[in-house]
Amino acid sequence: MPTRSIGQEYIKGLWSENPVFRQLLGLCPTLAVTGWVINGLAMGLATSFVLIFSSLVVSLIKKLIPSQVRIASYIVIIATFVTVADRFLAAYFPDISKDLGPYVPLIVVNCIILGRQEAFSSKNSVGRSLIDALGMSSGFVLALLVLSSIREILGSGTYLGHQVMGSWFKPWIIMILPAGAFLALGILLGIALQIEKKTKSRV
Amino acid sequence: MKLSVRMLVVLTSVGLLSGSFLATVGRLTKERIELNKQREIEAAIIKVVPGTESSAKLYEEKDFKVYGGKNQDGTLIGYGILVSGIGFQDKITLMLGSDISLTKISRLEIIEQKETPGLGAKIEDEDVFLKFWEGRDCSRPLSLRKPAVRTAEELAASEVNTITGATISSESVLKIVNDSVERLRRLINEGQIQKGEQDAH
Repeated sequence: MPTRSIGQEYIKGLWSENPVFRQLLGLCPTLAVTGWVINGLAMGLATSFVLIFSSLVVSLIKKLIPSQVRIASYIVIIATFVTVADRFLAAYFPDISKDLGPYVPLIVVNCIILGRQEAFSSKNSVGRSLIDALGMSSGFVLALLVLSSIREILGSGTYLGHQVMGSWFKPWIIMILPAGAFLALGILLGIALQIEKKTKSRV
Repeated sequence: MKLSVRMLVVLTSVGLLSGSFLATVGRLTKERIELNKQREIEAAIIKVVPGTESSAKLYEEKDFKVYGGKNQDGTLIGYGILVSGIGFQDKITLMLGSDISLTKISRLEIIEQKETPGLGAKIEDEDVFLKFWEGRDCSRPLSLRKPAVRTAEELAASEVNTITGATISSESVLKIVNDSVERLRRLINEGQIQKGEQDAH
């Protein structure tokens, strides 16, 4: 594995290894809860919480876990933090918790989280794992924010619940429907690929 | 240590640790989560039974709960029925308010629904749907007015408006309402819920 500086370890999650735009991981919540910015943000932060703490614990006890039972152990650790996030949202943000519904418990099976444990935290130091988790989380939150901003503005004419489009604007209902999620994500992936191509050819 | 023993020890301790951690988190949040649910139901009763000062649960079954709304003197002034039924694609949970004689609907509130956004989800919309339920005569089963009309005055006493483009969602709500009014009436007739003489608690 090429050695990266701490800064690069963080930055890679934002762009070159962005979980959504580059690795295409965790697409289920990405598509499902991004109809409104507040939901996208809440999902991003809940996932970040789980990812950061799972990476911390896994990198701390990586030497103790026999490789035959590592996946089972990781899942138990991840599920623990997901349950904490779920209870916390239900207790302090009941409205958001209701909107996100089953998608909070489903963070357990978000590939980004298990993927980072398997690919990174189980092989790297605690510090690096934390930086990696922070970077990946930021990348995920960023992707969800971009997608939910597009969908909320076009689909309801609002941003974070505030009216931003004039009265002339007729909301594109398709954007808050599942089909709108696929359309927006597809276009964003296309743009991401184009940018990547351009920067590559310049190098 | 033998590998199999080590595997056993590691998995057991991971499970035990996370279990006890979650038990703590569960205990710490339990009260608040229940309070949130309670508060949501109370707010809905106050909305559907106008003039409610306090409320009490009168009857409970799976997906069917009856609350009584009481005024300042503690007299029962109406029922709030919290009921779930099948909508177009998922469960619809609603709170229906009626007077104590079960002849007039005071108000309908949608608590939870996952109908199609932009179409069936309009069952939550005040101007398109909910306002047409106020003051309807529910002494006999309600029916839907199709095609939809603009004002409540055009509807017959036991008619409610349909949402254009979401007939199935409208019909689902209608069925839930008719069934639950019928069910409550039966419960009252059977004496399972007593009229107006509940203990305040």
